[in-house]
Amino acid sequence: MKLELGKIYIKDIRFGDNTEIKNGTLIINKKELEEFAISDERIKSVTIELARPGESIRIAPVKDVIEPRVKVSGPGCIFPGVMGKVKGVGSGRTHALVGAAVVTVGKIVGFQEGIIDMSGETAKYTPFSETNNICVVMEPVEGLETHDYEQAGRLLGLKVANFIGEVARNIEPDEIVIYDTKPLLEQIKEFPHLPKVGYIHMLQSQGLLHDTYYYGVDAKQILPTLMYPTEIMDGAIISGNCVAPCDKVTTFHHLNNPVIEDLYKRHGKDLNFVTVILTNENVFLMDKERSSDMVAKIVEFLGLDGVIITEEGYGNPDTDLMMNCKKVSDVGTKVVLITDEFPGRDGKSQSLADAVPEADALVSCGQGNIIVNFPKMDKIIGTLEFVETMIGGYEGCLKEDGSIDAELQIIIASTIANGYNKLAAKGY
Amino acid sequence: MNEIILTNNSKVNDKYKSKFEIEFIEKSGYLNILFEARNMIYQGYRLLTHPMSSSLKPNQTKFRSIILQKNQNNLDTESILMIERAIESAEKFLKFKKTPDWDEKILDDFRTVDMSIIEGVLNRISFFIN
Repeated sequence: MKLELGKIYIKDIRFGDNTEIKNGTLIINKKELEEFAISDERIKSVTIELARPGESIRIAPVKDVIEPRVKVSGPGCIFPGVMGKVKGVGSGRTHALVGAAVVTVGKIVGFQEGIIDMSGETAKYTPFSETNNICVVMEPVEGLETHDYEQAGRLLGLKVANFIGEVARNIEPDEIVIYDTKPLLEQIKEFPHLPKVGYIHMLQSQGLLHDTYYYGVDAKQILPTLMYPTEIMDGAIISGNCVAPCDKVTTFHHLNNPVIEDLYKRHGKDLNFVTVILTNENVFLMDKERSSDMVAKIVEFLGLDGVIITEEGYGNPDTDLMMNCKKVSDVGTKVVLITDEFPGRDGKSQSLADAVPEADALVSCGQGNIIVNFPKMDKIIGTLEFVETMIGGYEGCLKEDGSIDAELQIIIASTIANGYNKLAAKGY
Repeated sequence: MNEIILTNNSKVNDKYKSKFEIEFIEKSGYLNILFEARNMIYQGYRLLTHPMSSSLKPNQTKFRSIILQKNQNNLDTESILMIERAIESAEKFLKFKKTPDWDEKILDDFRTVDMSIIEGVLNRISFFIN
């Protein structure tokens, strides 16, 4: 499956009369977009606000972040099975507005996550301080049930992203990157001497605010399956997860999965990037056993020499991570894990909630427990009302002047367990 | 039916008490539910759901629902290891910061999420063959 990803670089964003792109600037018609966005009866109001890199703006609480894309040619649409018909995606041509991001903002539950600072000391911990953000601040109708609001908010973000992505359809991209994965036997024939590497991508799948969707299917209901790596670039996977800001995999991160990106860079050079294996992180222990057994079965059947495994979340997903690690190791395949850690503020406690002896090769994405100071910002998009109840926040952490002392884990994607961040751990 | 729900979540108790056996300890905190689960495991129960479900940290939410099953009085070593790790992890978080005294609205939100996570399993459990 071959995908041409046309990257249109967005360097600035502003409101204007027409929604369009001019010389790298994304212009949004505010009223038109707000009227388009509000067409879900579950949403009482939608306000669009802009946040640019370097501005003194704090965005909270964040639900999801999505990169606007459009399917220019090839089967299917962006976010298949959710925003359009179900059809296998990942081939043809797709355009992406790189440097732009739709950020959904709004309370769903009282302990709503997470923060994005567009400038200051804490901006460096999130990639979204470097994107031009179209913030969709939403308010539900009175008394809306939490599951309904979560769904409405999730769909709203995707809808707005598609609306904006559409303007990229006929623009000549600044850069085109080609990603190509052939069917297994062809690809092995193409690079017979290179080690066969797979990527096991674990999807959060536990319940309300802890869900992920593959072609619109709740990941709680999937069995491990194969995915061409390019499918993810057309939005085959979307996020419904928003309870732990630091290691939340936003829809943006699914579209821009860094493990897939880096494996492609080395594909054909020192490794043969064969496939992605999707699996889930269900709470039911029987599901964990079943899924990890099947992951190992697929790995063995494909004859993979090595795999990289990433997870989403903390706690019981660490058990899935270790089950996958052990069972894949048992079939003779080398395993490397990528994950974040929670070793306490002094960094001395056990980092993960589970461990097996086979987990001897691990790349760390940093730890979420350290306290950082968030300087006061001139503008707040959303509200700081929930900061003290967010994960990483605590009573008294929000100061009168608007500054915050909180754990790093309050920042969106600060320690994201697929490595799309700038933190690591070193051994001495 | 061999399954039992151990919980301190009144929403779970209210919705499922007529369908499942429930050990409802309302006044208990998160850690105490884990201790109770450990007691039950040593009395011959085994875990059906992971005791650390959800991304909510042990010092953030106080609600915990766990599904166990009677194991014919054999000790299930996997359950023992799993509950001990969960207790160790919870104690680590609680050592650094206690669970805040949330207001009722936030407590209700935590109950809703905890119930949603356990519901996904309860809806399927009738298919589980011993």
